[in-house]
Amino acid sequence: MGMSVDLSVKIGSKTLPNPVGVASGTFGYGSEYEELLDLSCAGAIFTKAVTLEPRVGNDIPRIIETPSGMLNSIGLANAGVKKFVSEKMPYLKKLPCAIVANVAGATEPEYIQVVKELEEADGLWGYEINVSCPNVKEGGLAFGTDPGQVERLTSTLRKLTSRPLIIKLTPNVTDITVIARAAQSGGADAVSLINTLVGMVIDVKKKKPVLAAKTGGLSGPAVRPVGVALTYRVSRAVSIPVIGMGGISNADDALQYMLAGASAIQIGTTNFIDPRAPYTVLEGIREYCVGNDIDTVDRLRGIIS
Amino acid sequence: MLKQLQSQVLSNRQISADFFELSMRWDKTAGIALPGQFLTIRVSQDSVPLLRRPFAFAGFDEPEQTASIIYQKRGRGTEILCGKQAGESLDVIGPLGNHFPVNDGQGESVAAAGGIGLGPILFLVNYLRERDVPVTFIFGCRNSSYIPDNTAFKTASPNICTDDGSVGFKGNTISYLEQNIKINDKSVLYGCGPEAMLKGLSGFADSVGAASFVSVEQVMACGVGACMGCVVKTASGYARSCKEGPVFSAKDIVWE
Ligand SMILES: Cc1cc2nc3c(=O)[nH]c(=O)nc-3n(C[C@H](O)[C@H](O)[C@H](O)COP(=O)(O)OP(=O)(O)OC[C@H]3O[C@@H](n4cnc5c(N)ncnc54)[C@H](O)[C@@H]3O)c2cc1C
Ligand SMILES: Cc1cc2nc3c(=O)[nH]c(=O)nc-3n(C[C@H](O)[C@H](O)[C@H](O)COP(=O)(O)O)c2cc1C
Ligand code: FES
Repeated sequence: MGMSVDLSVKIGSKTLPNPVGVASGTFGYGSEYEELLDLSCAGAIFTKAVTLEPRVGNDIPRIIETPSGMLNSIGLANAGVKKFVSEKMPYLKKLPCAIVANVAGATEPEYIQVVKELEEADGLWGYEINVSCPNVKEGGLAFGTDPGQVERLTSTLRKLTSRPLIIKLTPNVTDITVIARAAQSGGADAVSLINTLVGMVIDVKKKKPVLAAKTGGLSGPAVRPVGVALTYRVSRAVSIPVIGMGGISNADDALQYMLAGASAIQIGTTNFIDPRAPYTVLEGIREYCVGNDIDTVDRLRGIIS
Repeated sequence: MLKQLQSQVLSNRQISADFFELSMRWDKTAGIALPGQFLTIRVSQDSVPLLRRPFAFAGFDEPEQTASIIYQKRGRGTEILCGKQAGESLDVIGPLGNHFPVNDGQGESVAAAGGIGLGPILFLVNYLRERDVPVTFIFGCRNSSYIPDNTAFKTASPNICTDDGSVGFKGNTISYLEQNIKINDKSVLYGCGPEAMLKGLSGFADSVGAASFVSVEQVMACGVGACMGCVVKTASGYARSCKEGPVFSAKDIVWE
């Protein structure tokens, strides 16, 4: 035994120490979990969305539990890029994991400005571009639902940075592979998926939706089969790495994504329930590799034909 | 020091119509809990119910290394909790959140609990008295069947109010305060219970310029300040009830 497994994952010009990341919006800025998890076990921390200006977020209530999942309508609540750089980065950059800023905006110039300001911050590993946000200039339709917009935004941001550029895809589209290819054409180093699925819960007694924003994003174990299927399809449509997520709560769930074609994975909602999951999932992946005589985690990718 | 613990259940018993008291071993590596702080419990390894459930500390014994909660059977999560037997282990994270500030003893302290707001107020009352801070304790509930049958409650000399008058004062805790309690600008009021009660308590304190601190209840996902799901509206914007709260100065809260 004692076989060593190469867990590193190459994305663009850089390498992640291991394939297990924590998903945007579910891990704050790392410090919230420092007493509950040895943060050095995470391959990457994907931060809460960073926008140009501070955002207070949506009205309350913002969360409701659903069968094996939850709906959230947090609404990109964050302190804005300047405070992110001055208040969050000093802590984050000391961590041994890759720090990936999740970038969001309401217009293309907003994304551009956020990335420009983040380029000045050292210690940042790369960017995950959240294209699930409504584009206010295009009638509020999410950037990520239109391949033309995705390709243009990606190629614009590509020119601003040599750091890994990951486009995070929304599952709320007819054909996600078209969007994934648009990101690849624009010069993305990887795509990550899935963001949350739009959902609604109605309080029949009060005769109104439970969430103040009416709809929210569904996450948790309930969405896992959707995420696995979309990872399977996208990884066959593009040649860049795919980072899979959606309902991963243990190593077997993570392995489903990797066998389907993901190079790396992210743990989201499960952090709320089992904050040690990034550690146990990573150890489980390692054991699986050892048990199957796989010496490098990259060989797991797409074993399923 | 916030920690995730596998805590052994020491006892779990029904203390009124639908209130239960659960006491557990508290590993000292997780530090001490103060009145107002809470813990979260993963009641089951299944994905239903999914999220950890938050409960306020109702008691904490540092030398004995025990902690307790008082909870109400409400839905699936608390129903599962009711079934936990002494000896079983519980997946707990705590202590979380801030705590009630201790009255410096200049003026009178009054602590009011409405219904299942009992736990944190009972803990506070005992905590203050151990520190020789006198406090008037008020507990309001629907009727006599909700009056808890446990020692900590009975020895805390509660002033009981019931909606139907079956025991004690007939009416809610706010009417009781208005009719029976004299406060001034040095008084400190504490409260936990339904929102309408907390709002009433705040108004009662404000009328004489007294300070008031209330513990609010919001649905939580992470409990550690990461998700921004549990916010409450305050004068200075949204604040996370799991991190900046659950205890707030009542005058800072923007009531609905
Ligand atoms: C800081 C804090 C301290 C609390 N202290 C106590 C206490 O000492 N004793 C007690 O009995 N209860 C307390 N609660 C409420 C307790 O968490 C809920 O009663 C419990 O989560 C209900 O779970 P359930 O599965 O039985 O009910 P469900 O059927 O899930 O829900 C019943 C109701 O409980 C509330 N609730 C559900 N899930 C959550 C959640 N994740 N977070 C907060 N509220 C939720 C909702 O208002 C819901 O309508 C506290 C809540 C908070 C936020
Ligand atoms: C409370 C909450 C907040 C989130 N915030 C963001 C965000 O700011 N940006 C983003 O790209 N995704 C966000 N997400 C989506 C997650 O990163 C992830 O894509 C999704 O939850 C699916 O994974 P899971 O089922 O493991 O949670 C959020 C999810 C949750 C539950
Ligand atoms: S419950 Fe997540 S921030 Fe408070």
